[in-house]
Amino acid sequence: MAHIKVVRRSMRPEEWTDLRFGWLKRYIYEEKFEIENLKVRDARQVTEMQYDYYPEGWRNLHKGDMYFTPDGTAFFDADVVIPEKLRGKELWFSLKTAAEIIVKVNGKYVGGVDPNRDRILLSPYIDSDYLHFEMEGYNRSKPDDERNPESLSVRGCRQIFEGAYLATVNHTVLDLVYDLELLLDIAKSDLFNEDYRSFLNREINNALNLIDFDDLKNEDVAAAKQYVDDVIYANDDYKGSGDVALIAHSHLDIAYYWRRIHSVQKNLRTILIQLRLMDRYPDFKYTHTQAFTYEMLEKYYPDVFEELKEKIARGQFEPVGAMYVEPDCNIPSAESLIRQCMYGQHYFREKFGKTINNCWLPDVFGNSWILPQILKKSGVDYFVSNKMSTWNDTNRFPHNNFIWKGIDGSEVCACVPPTHFITWNMPSQIQENWEAYQDKNLGGQTMSMFGYGDGGSGCTEEMIEIMHRFKKLSIMPKTEHTSGAEFLEKNLKDNKNLEKWDGELYLEMHRGTFTTKSKMKRYNRQLEFKLREAEMVSTLRHLKGAEYPGEELRDIYKKLLINQFHDILPGSHITPVYRDAMDDYEDIDARLDKIIGTGEKYFNSLNFPRKHLTFIEDENGKSIRFGKQGNWVIPNLPALSCGDIPWRTYAGDWCEIGKKIVTPFYEIEFEYDGSIKSLYDKELDREWVNGEFNKLKLYKDNPGVYDAWDILPNYKDREVEVKIISPLKTVEKNSEVASFECILGTEKSTWKRIIRVFRQSRGIEVENQVDWNEKHVLAKAQFDCNVLTRKAVCDTSAGFVERETHRNTTWQQARFEVCHHKWVDMAETDGGIALINESKYGVGLLENSMSLSLLRATVRPDVTSDRGHHEFCYMIYPHGDDFVKAEINNIAYEYNIPLRKADLTCENSFGELYMQAMKMSENGKMIVIRLSEQNGRRGKIKLGGKVKILNFLEDIVEETDTIEYKPFEIITIGIET
Amino acid sequence: MERYINLIIKPKLQGDGGEIDFVSYEDGILTVLLQGECSKCLIVDRCLSWIESEIMRDMGESVKVVARKKKPFFWDKD
Repeated sequence: MAHIKVVRRSMRPEEWTDLRFGWLKRYIYEEKFEIENLKVRDARQVTEMQYDYYPEGWRNLHKGDMYFTPDGTAFFDADVVIPEKLRGKELWFSLKTAAEIIVKVNGKYVGGVDPNRDRILLSPYIDSDYLHFEMEGYNRSKPDDERNPESLSVRGCRQIFEGAYLATVNHTVLDLVYDLELLLDIAKSDLFNEDYRSFLNREINNALNLIDFDDLKNEDVAAAKQYVDDVIYANDDYKGSGDVALIAHSHLDIAYYWRRIHSVQKNLRTILIQLRLMDRYPDFKYTHTQAFTYEMLEKYYPDVFEELKEKIARGQFEPVGAMYVEPDCNIPSAESLIRQCMYGQHYFREKFGKTINNCWLPDVFGNSWILPQILKKSGVDYFVSNKMSTWNDTNRFPHNNFIWKGIDGSEVCACVPPTHFITWNMPSQIQENWEAYQDKNLGGQTMSMFGYGDGGSGCTEEMIEIMHRFKKLSIMPKTEHTSGAEFLEKNLKDNKNLEKWDGELYLEMHRGTFTTKSKMKRYNRQLEFKLREAEMVSTLRHLKGAEYPGEELRDIYKKLLINQFHDILPGSHITPVYRDAMDDYEDIDARLDKIIGTGEKYFNSLNFPRKHLTFIEDENGKSIRFGKQGNWVIPNLPALSCGDIPWRTYAGDWCEIGKKIVTPFYEIEFEYDGSIKSLYDKELDREWVNGEFNKLKLYKDNPGVYDAWDILPNYKDREVEVKIISPLKTVEKNSEVASFECILGTEKSTWKRIIRVFRQSRGIEVENQVDWNEKHVLAKAQFDCNVLTRKAVCDTSAGFVERETHRNTTWQQARFEVCHHKWVDMAETDGGIALINESKYGVGLLENSMSLSLLRATVRPDVTSDRGHHEFCYMIYPHGDDFVKAEINNIAYEYNIPLRKADLTCENSFGELYMQAMKMSENGKMIVIRLSEQNGRRGKIKLGGKVKILNFLEDIVEETDTIEYKPFEIITIGIET
Repeated sequence: MERYINLIIKPKLQGDGGEIDFVSYEDGILTVLLQGECSKCLIVDRCLSWIESEIMRDMGESVKVVARKKKPFFWDKD
């Protein structure tokens, strides 16, 4: 007998409830008046406040018409006389749309509509029977808010207009709708007690049975509402547990699937919506990050900014996050992160009289170990970031409320909320948060953020209305709607129970962002150092009487900081965002060149003697590097000084080229593809190679939907064959350098490698000229070293971090690709190999192997990502002793900072500390010098006189004539001019 | 036509996370390749009609736009 599966075809009781709930929502609007004289004009935004208009001009817009264009902005206009029957009533504007529309009525910004909300209260703005509507909409065929199924269903560039209305709302119906939203969420969630959910299903049905949907009457709806109050809310037999703080916010990516210019209006719309909610709900508090977004509002919408200031003063609108933008926290240097805090805090102080004591980075892709010190010295005691709890792919991050101890021992209180930073404040999401919270009984309340985001938008009326009902439900955890600062002070401050995390906050995901969009990373590195040079040169010139270009430098710095936003520098954005960033980088580069200028002599901006081989461009030079002529020379310039660098020809034959290449340091056997079969160190009498060394490896790189973000641990599964197009041959030999060149390739790409060995340097440089046309391929340079070690050391830009290279536990397994800055080193106690780079951040570390990530070729969000020509180099630097004695950090600085001409000197060099910055203070009264201990040492520097010790905001902390430093400490001193 | 697609239409679609490439133009049929967000858009036909009207306005040519969609592997489930 055939088995016939029994399928239930009749309607379940829960489906009957859902159906009636849908019907009920149809009665939210009591009366509607269609605005039929709406006109629309299509445009495309080209700058923050400028638009290219389509030639069609204004046209009438009727229900059913198509509106919006790809990447389009539309302007709307209508004059409406309020119909007599609606006059004197509470009046709403209603427009269901997939776009993000800012609504102005009679010259006042009244709010916004978007896929998350379709009505705005008009009554407070009505002072006559006449309404003039001006609206601006940016279309959103974007993936943000895709967690909201309703917004997902309306995605696309061309939309059908569903009509705009003046309307009145039936509050009896609306109240019941909110009750049912709340109760049905619990009824459908298996996170809640099963018996309670049965009770809810039964009693919701009973309540709805009081309404005749064929002839809906207000009194029936009121009776149903009364039933909910009397039977459901009155029931306290079922007890929930937990204590959850509800923090309203909106995540606003400065750029992502939209350009930075669009975030001006996204920000306005988001802030407007929250301000209007505050008008209606006096208990509503909202947090908003990024000084840059406030700056934009102030610049482009000063009236709304004034209103915002009032709400801040009243405590309803809360600036959070001390930083200028929410930057990536892996790739930017320590100085950049300090400037994120300094420019952010200075803005908040100047405009709102506040120093923000929290750092708010919900979406950032992992956080460097150098951050706690930077935060602490920037007036920040608290750190908030969600990613590690919800996005780790291997290990569950063990804390939510904890102490984060930094590389130098500084500590901040940290909150990694247990759930995603975008929620819509539903009971099931709050319950999930409580259940996932790992510091119950120790950490106080758990934080649950609510509000739509990515592209802004924020909280809705519904979220607040539902929140107001939580206290009626005994099954819910205890909830408290609070501000960010209140939560942090209440739960983390002086909390002795908090556990401690001592290390970086590595995100076990998004490991590809160290490498994606290679050119941006290279520019960022170069410009960080160029800015250092520009500030230093300007300060030294200022001491000789020149004007300090403070405003220009600040403007340039901010432009660089904006491009360190966590969806810009990491590479997770669409093509136009990349173009904007590259335009910005070119602009910054040119402006810095102008500031630095030139001179007669070469200037060593480093505060240690420059004594390692470097390339100096010279049109009569004997060598070529990156297509430019020049010479390889040892500058021998003392710290912070200038001088001539003569180039002398060495007459002897220092390099023997045969089967082996013999230099003063090595006997090298190359393979035809430029990899090294043997690297015998004559000086140290040891072989450095144990396997593939300087081998170009290409892998199929298919991480899935998070294409630009992720590299998966299985990337080595499928290797792409690299063919030798032109085998290694000698292309140059002069008195300082011998160069060898090979051309490798695939069917789509060619990869020229120029390998240089030197007479006066242990370094072996590899220049790469790549025409890259791959898709889903990861390029790495593999180095299997003849070194027995279980750890590698990585530069962080302000000290080093040791990383285990074994795979003993899941924690090491997850860290198969990590971020480093200028160098990575793998060594035994008496020697090792450093890889020094000038633009690469991703590296894989496994036992005795290092694999430097060079290029990727992803397709989402940018189909064109990384295709085209690339040039970059790195240096292999075998050394005796450990990396500190071998001065690897110094060598890496010299490798990253090209010598420029400027006739300047500075007497103080500050010994063993690295001079990270020299600038005039923001108030122009002091020379500010930032010194960084990077070798893990403790010591003292006795100064000739007293100096001020400053925090990173340039506030005076104390006075001293001795700098006492500890490992990895960053110290700022101020010298009054 | 290829130049028009590259210079005028492409930047606009890229602004929405999409990508369009000219494939051919023969006998009034303009064939394009859609990638990125466009490759999975459920209402892309509306956009193609818009491209046709843009071409008519700017170039005075009546064309039929035919799209080939190239979804990345991670969206290619159907």
